[in-house]
Amino acid sequence: MYPVVPREWKERTRGHIAIDMDACILCGICGKKCPTDAITVDRGAKTWSIGRMQCIQCSCCVDVCPKKCLVNEATYTTPAVYKIVDTYEKPEEQGAAANEGSLKCDDTCVFCGICAKKCPQGAIEVDRAEKKWEVDDDKCTRCGLCIEGCPKKSLKIE
Amino acid sequence: MAKRTVIPFGPQHPVLPEPIHLDLVIEDETVVEAIPSIGFIHRGLEKLVEKNEWPEMVYVIERVCGICSFGHGWGYCKSVEGNLGLSVPPRAEYLRTIWHELGRIHSHLLWLGLLADSFGFESLFMHSWRLRETVLDLFEETTGGRVIFSVCKVGGVRKDVTDEQLAEISGVLKGMIPELTELTNVFLEDMSVKNRLEGVGTLSADEIKELCAVGPVARASGIASDVRLDGHGAYPELGFEPCVEEAGDCMARCKVRVREIFQSIGLIAKAAEQMPGGDIDVKVKGNPEGEFVGRMEQPRGEAYYYSKGNGSKFLERIRVRTPTNANIPALVKMLQGCDLADVPVMVLTIDPCISCTER
Repeated sequence: MYPVVPREWKERTRGHIAIDMDACILCGICGKKCPTDAITVDRGAKTWSIGRMQCIQCSCCVDVCPKKCLVNEATYTTPAVYKIVDTYEKPEEQGAAANEGSLKCDDTCVFCGICAKKCPQGAIEVDRAEKKWEVDDDKCTRCGLCIEGCPKKSLKIE
Repeated sequence: MAKRTVIPFGPQHPVLPEPIHLDLVIEDETVVEAIPSIGFIHRGLEKLVEKNEWPEMVYVIERVCGICSFGHGWGYCKSVEGNLGLSVPPRAEYLRTIWHELGRIHSHLLWLGLLADSFGFESLFMHSWRLRETVLDLFEETTGGRVIFSVCKVGGVRKDVTDEQLAEISGVLKGMIPELTELTNVFLEDMSVKNRLEGVGTLSADEIKELCAVGPVARASGIASDVRLDGHGAYPELGFEPCVEEAGDCMARCKVRVREIFQSIGLIAKAAEQMPGGDIDVKVKGNPEGEFVGRMEQPRGEAYYYSKGNGSKFLERIRVRTPTNANIPALVKMLQGCDLADVPVMVLTIDPCISCTER
């Protein structure tokens, strides 16, 4: 019996959120969707942090991550008497990767505005009347959600 | 006339799992009047709709209660789905029903343990909670959580359950029946338990109607009120009939819950057998606009979920009224004229969940 026999975790157990920083593009969607504001994404410092005591293991961030770099692992975090915040840094050599290239729209665009609605950062502006499509390169995180959502497949990062 | 004294009961009391305060006005050993007060653990969860988008709000609403959390998630989803005019696939409805009934089994087993604890029967308390662990393991295997599940979402459920898991749920629950029978027979037949529960805190059907009590408290007095009869989830196809007792005392309330444990096992087995195939969710488009009310039968009784949308990603208002809130007037009534020593048992038989009540 426990604790002599170690606890066997079930496959679906929601223990704690783990991140693959190599795949993360610091888009910040996880932080925005988190119901308890446990996740903070700092694009300037290239860090992703999570308040372990705030996190409620709902897996909402795992569902919304466009790069699927978040995973809910079966083991729990170690108990503590203070509020733990785990911070992960983007590897130095990949620092620039997140902002490589820029979002382009070709002339098949019908100015439907779906990309602007999908954009978590509000980086895209579409004016149907003026037939104008604009992206703010500084705000754009290259998460690719607009590319997935585009009905005419007019968008790409190059 | 004996001298009147006021005895404070709670908010911290060995028998209370959660804080409620009662001012007991007593004459000798008899309670003349009980004045309840709550407000010790208000968390302001309803206010969080202004900060959380409605699809994410379900994870917050589930945390209204740590025992009937699945039902709260379902109730909220039902209310928002009504607002959006969504119809949920049958497989999702069946899965929701199975998880909700599993929740009822674990809630009632927890309550049986607490009841045993309230009259000082410690070993019975331990055995009830030991059996409850089996149900929590089933929850962990199918949802990933032991008490907070995060599987319900607007438009369906987030996780599917395989046929092997369904067979395991039915098998494990069936295997629990001999032990459950042995355990519940102690509650229903043991002389010392009978002495503490029979004829204590009796409420008639008329009093229940007048005080608008809900759930097992109402059903123990002969009123067949149960929201599951309204035809939500998979209940219409499972041939659900509420468990009703006539006596209206603490023992009747115990009997109703004991019968409901076995009934839930039957409902789950039937749902697992009849489980339809197909999708587990539907695509949700647009934002809720307008008002909608959803009702759920939680293990403690009828809960009410109101949502008001304004067409944006944030709901304007949600409101949850939980069964304990409706049962407190019944508790106050049954405490009048009782023996001081019976107060803990009576408080326990409404199955008070104060965190739910205050949210």
